[in-house]
Order: sequence, then C-alpha cells, then structure tokens
Amino acid sequence: MTLTLRTESSSPNRTTLWLQGRLDAETFGELDEALGTIMPTVADGGTLVLELGALDYISSAGLRSFAKARKAMRERHGHTLLLNPQPQVRKVFDIVKAVPVNEVFANTEELDDYLDRMQRQVIEQQESGEG
Amino acid sequence: MRLRIANRLAEVFFALDRIDVALHEAGLADAQRADIRLVIEELLVNTVHHGYPDGQPGWIEIRLDVDREAVTVEIGDDAAPFDPLAQPEPTLPGDLADRHEIGGLGIHLVRALASDVRYARDARGNRLTLRFFHPSPEPTT
Repeated sequence: MTLTLRTESSSPNRTTLWLQGRLDAETFGELDEALGTIMPTVADGGTLVLELGALDYISSAGLRSFAKARKAMRERHGHTLLLNPQPQVRKVFDIVKAVPVNEVFANTEELDDYLDRMQRQVIEQQESGEG
Repeated sequence: MRLRIANRLAEVFFALDRIDVALHEAGLADAQRADIRLVIEELLVNTVHHGYPDGQPGWIEIRLDVDREAVTVEIGDDAAPFDPLAQPEPTLPGDLADRHEIGGLGIHLVRALASDVRYARDARGNRLTLRFFHPSPEPTT
C-alpha cells in the first residue's frame, strides 16, 4: 500500500487535499511535490484542508511534511487544517503534539463552523476598524 | 523471523513489508502492527540516513519473536555508534510548525511506543532490543 493523493478546490480561498494510505519516509516526497503545486494556487490568507480519513499511517517523515506545509501557509497568512484523522494517526499527533487541538476536526461540519466563525471575526474586525 | 538487509532505504521498506506480513500472520491487531512498523521504520531510516556518514555499504539485521506476552524486536547493525536512549527529549511547543530543529521526532516516537528499549554496543556494532507488550483485552462486563 502506498500513498494516494487527490485535490479539490471549492474556491481560491479553500483547497482540500485527500491523503490515502501510508505517509512515511518512502512516500513523503510525493506529498511535498503535490503541496508545492497546490499551495501557490491557494489565495493569500486562504485555507488548505488535509483530509485524513483514509490515511492509515504516518511517521516522522510525514509529520515534517505537514509542518513544512503549515509554515508555508502561515507565511502567507493562511491556515492548514486537519480533517478526520483516524486513531493511529491521531495517536502519533498526540505523542509529538503535532498541531493545536483547535485545528483538528472530526468532520466537515465542525470545520465549516470554524471557518464561518473565523470569517465573521475578520468581517467584524474590518467593520470596527472602519467605524 | 530473521532478516538481513543492506543499508539502503528500498531494503528498509522491503523489510517493513515482510515484518508486517509476519505480524499479521501471528494474529496481531492492526494498531499494534502499525506501532511496531512505525518504531522499526524510525530506527532503520535513521540508521540508513545517519549511521554511515561516509556512504560505505553496511548491513542491518532484524530479528522478530512473538510470544504470549510480547513482540520482541532485535535490531543489529554495523553503523556508527548510536544509542537512541541517550538522545535528549525534543522540544514540543504544541505545533510542529513552531519547532526550529528538524530532528528528534522519530526517536521520541520510538520511546513513546515501545514498552521497553535496551541498547548495547559490542564488537559487531549496535544492538537494540525492543519489546511491545500485547494490549490487555478489553474488560467484559
């Protein structure tokens, strides 16, 4: 079993990358390459969602790829959110304290609610700045 | 089960797949197999990347034994001396994107997931013995 990747961009502000299989020292290069193509297409301040429901396994090589992606998105004022990690992957995240708990979501509804709240905050800040 | 491979990444992944099949045949649950695979991957990849700084050919030997109590994994190699137990704990700020150093995560995972780790160095090279106790069955009420 290797790594399979698929992307979908619902808008310039949000791109989802689905990961399936095993992300390890043998396959992380495929993810890095895909991210190198995808990330420039996400608008500044946009959100990259990594859909992990079908990711069975991650090792430190994969964790480093995630960290690199989060750093690159952050430099462009964007976000990298993790969706639906399964127990094995979640256990590894917990051991290394991979990401803040509030940036990991169990399902799409939770993630959409979070993005809606962020969007409202931005609008409110803009309005109070104007007022 | 005993495997002897060359110090190359492709052989490491060949060995990991063989070990996975052997542990599956021994009746181990998916979660325990994934933990063991992860620990062995971290150690062998580390050895291949850092254990032979001059790029010289080397060997890695893996022995696997499953009994009622635990899975025991012995890894021997002729790489530079490396005791994973002597490595400092990594800094974990709660977001990997905030870390400045690159390494240390793999060995941290090894220590967290193996039940017991022992290191020895002899005339042949490094020798690491790891044990993974079988998870207790869920209590039935």
